[in-house]
Amino acid sequence: MDHSHRALTWLALLAAFITVLPPLARAGDPPLRNVIDTEIAKVWSREKIQSAGPCDDATFLRRVSLDLCGLIPTHDEAKAFLDDSATDKRAKLIERLLDHARYGVHQSDEWDMVFFGRKPPGYEAPHREGFKRWLRDSFAQNTHFDQLARAMLKAEGNTAEQGAAMYLVQYDRHPDDAAIAVSQTFLGVQLQCAHCHDHPYEPWTQRDFYGMAAFFARLQMVKAGKTKVDDKELEKIYLAELNTGDVKFTGSAKDAKPGQKGEPVKPKFLLASDLEEPDLTAEFKDEKRIPDGSPPPAPKFSRKDKLAEWVTSPQNPYFARAVANRLWAQFMGRGLVHPIDNMSASNKPSHPELLDAIAQELIAHQFDVKWLIRELVSSQTYQLASTGEVADAKPQWFERARTRPLSAEELLESWRVATNFEVVARRKPEEHKGRFYGVTFDYIRNYFGEPNNGVGDFQGGLHEHLYLNNGELGRLMTSEKDGLIDQLLTSTEPWESRVERIYLAVLSRLPNAAERAKFADYCDVQGKDSQQTRLQEAIWVLMTCSEFRFNH
Amino acid sequence: MNPDCPLEEHVSRRALLKGVLATSSGATVANWGGLFASPARAEEVKQNQKRCILLWMNGGASQFETFDMKIGRPNGGPFRPISTNVASTQVCELLPKISQQMDKLTVIRSMHTSQIDHPQGIHLMHTAYSEAANIRFPEFGAVIAKSLGHVGSSLPNFIKIGSNGDSGSGFLGPKYQPFTMSHDGRLPTFAQSSLAPGIESRRNELRQFVEDQYAVKHHVETAKMHREAYERARRLQSALKTFKIDDEWAKYESLYGDSFFGRNCLLARQLVEAGVPFVEIGHSGYDTHADNFTGHKGLLPPMDQGWAGLLTDLHERGLLANTLVVWMGEIGRTPQINNRAGRDHYVRAWSTALAGGGVKGGYVHGATDQDGRDVTSGEVKEGDFFATIYQALGINPSTEHFAGSRPVPIAPFGSKVVRDLLV
Repeated sequence: MDHSHRALTWLALLAAFITVLPPLARAGDPPLRNVIDTEIAKVWSREKIQSAGPCDDATFLRRVSLDLCGLIPTHDEAKAFLDDSATDKRAKLIERLLDHARYGVHQSDEWDMVFFGRKPPGYEAPHREGFKRWLRDSFAQNTHFDQLARAMLKAEGNTAEQGAAMYLVQYDRHPDDAAIAVSQTFLGVQLQCAHCHDHPYEPWTQRDFYGMAAFFARLQMVKAGKTKVDDKELEKIYLAELNTGDVKFTGSAKDAKPGQKGEPVKPKFLLASDLEEPDLTAEFKDEKRIPDGSPPPAPKFSRKDKLAEWVTSPQNPYFARAVANRLWAQFMGRGLVHPIDNMSASNKPSHPELLDAIAQELIAHQFDVKWLIRELVSSQTYQLASTGEVADAKPQWFERARTRPLSAEELLESWRVATNFEVVARRKPEEHKGRFYGVTFDYIRNYFGEPNNGVGDFQGGLHEHLYLNNGELGRLMTSEKDGLIDQLLTSTEPWESRVERIYLAVLSRLPNAAERAKFADYCDVQGKDSQQTRLQEAIWVLMTCSEFRFNH
Repeated sequence: MNPDCPLEEHVSRRALLKGVLATSSGATVANWGGLFASPARAEEVKQNQKRCILLWMNGGASQFETFDMKIGRPNGGPFRPISTNVASTQVCELLPKISQQMDKLTVIRSMHTSQIDHPQGIHLMHTAYSEAANIRFPEFGAVIAKSLGHVGSSLPNFIKIGSNGDSGSGFLGPKYQPFTMSHDGRLPTFAQSSLAPGIESRRNELRQFVEDQYAVKHHVETAKMHREAYERARRLQSALKTFKIDDEWAKYESLYGDSFFGRNCLLARQLVEAGVPFVEIGHSGYDTHADNFTGHKGLLPPMDQGWAGLLTDLHERGLLANTLVVWMGEIGRTPQINNRAGRDHYVRAWSTALAGGGVKGGYVHGATDQDGRDVTSGEVKEGDFFATIYQALGINPSTEHFAGSRPVPIAPFGSKVVRDLLV
């Protein structure tokens, strides 16, 4: 495909994009949650699909608690919610969780996985406490997503005290990796094929790849001393930008010759114009390297700042859709474009009008994340049941809620809530310092952390079950005062009622008749010691079963 | 059997699940062979299944003190060459046992790789790729586990014993994570249950009930996988005896030699015989920046005996034809001898060796110049090396796996299989 043809294709795409978008949201328009339900139902009737129907209160409570705050509800919360007869109790619950102290923690855990992932191999990435703190505070304060992205792409401040700069620091001296990651994360575009050759079936060329990489060609780390974040001593790293320096392009990798010198490539916005930059190099003698020791000076002209502004602009054709699709996938278990980071002409959305509507409303609400999350979880689509026959056969039509594995963090926090260890630990803060006392967090993070097969599908691992079967869950089932075991052992209620307590505490629901009888029979033995052992076994069973392992 | 297409795709998922569930209430299948209706079929699969053992020389063994001696040259070092059981080929005198196994070996004298430091080299020579900031590449052990492993196995498909590299299964996911033992044969954390068998099975029976309750209303694949993986973890408990060599050791000590490495070689043989497709054994200490010669003099003899013992034992059991034994480290060592009588890191020209399944015996591939500074013929880059290993194991080297929507070939794009050394 020659370049003029390519340009025409792009113009056609852009034109299509503009005409598809509805006009900006106005007062009196239906709330987005209704648009979601209308669009989803429209496709059900087109495809002649029966939906699973709404989920029950207990399922909703557990699902939304995990999705908004990253943990299951306590026994008391579950009981109160199920007993509440108010018709607006789900809406009230959503508001309470959106304001919960755990909201920022959990959303930042989720997005840290997007920006870094588990065991990130990038530079200094294992020491990103500063970044994590910034991300947590940003979500807690509901910093709008365009601001959040701009701070990362402009690499504001240093990695320890401000934090956001850590995102680009991980790609130190690898402008090509930065170009791939930024395109994938913020634009939903897979650029890496164009590293070595023009993309075989997408419009982007090698020139697009190197044009994007050129924005990151002049970055250099500057270390400016150390500081403490969350009790850890961290290097303060700034990302300086030099005034000169280019990426070199040698043409297609298969034609490359050893020792071949490439041509410098000018920055170019993806499938759009070149960056216009003042010509500095003629009269400017650049320093080779900015010294460590103090914060670096700003460059005369910053390429990365220009990119940050272009990426996060409401006019950017990719950004709002990419963010909308990611947030949709986070709560619905699958993107409207699937996989979420491959938005292209050859991989169309399942619900194009809906994706456009969400993107447009997101722009109208200035990328307000909390607003969009509220609309998503308030929709009937989110509140569907996950039960039924067809399972995953037609997942792209969202006719039932998807079954999603809990993250390592969600599992650990939920185990602590289930056993009431949370309360026990709070009484002895010195003894139980740190986020995950009582279970070996590193092990869990390594083996439960990314439970998928590379394309996002759950994959059971041997190590996960070795931990479940032979690990340290017993340490959470302490007989100390206020722990779940203590509550059960000191109770004088009949075993059937105590089983109810176990189910509410661990699975956030009431047991059915068979479960009640089976568990009561299992635990009703002579002697406190035997009872304690049986109770620990029963709680272990519920904390390791599929119903606990997944959000459903 | 077509190895591009793993066994699990030939045996239906339902059949395997049944095989698993039928045993879940107590009795366990000793190994994957138990899943096949006829013992003959199990035996056939066992005989024809390709496997791979990696002997990892951590730190980078010297090519000059092993397979590419430069006799009479200023930097050749003090050791003498000895003849082997292949007329035209000599090896270093520190490898007397291997010299008598040369007819089973392909030596590659023409490795030329791209990462000269340890962490990067360890990553490269375990994954075929240089590290990248936005993707976690799987080790080739994980790739082989995925290609040749068995979903119904009681044993892990990827086992590392006292070795290096922490890339593990990378983006291939937890199913292919290595089961990592320490060099003294200790099992990984949490591998063993501390519960009395009675409690274990009573607790499991209750768990089974709970899973069945859930399955009444939830028909999702994810929950089935969770159940399967749990059953595997339980079956492993009764297969743990496969990780013990104490009963056999007295009989094999003189063959493998009394060292951790020798013991681990016997353990590797026992594991591949039980159907494990990939076992890696580490041997450390080769980073001889100082005292290279005394270092190798101490390191090589026990390694020599363990390696030679392994080849002999595999051969005698008829397993060598289907078991590829790979010998390598992450780097080679410099032709120059530094002022501490050491050799530093070198990747322009160095040696590796292959034996068994799919490769020629008594064959030397490639050559270096008279001082071992550069490859003069038959250059093998890291990608070519891995492409050749995959080819020897019957795995198409251009097989792609997906990291998200990004296709990643198991051997990097453009790698060439070294056909000359394949049978």
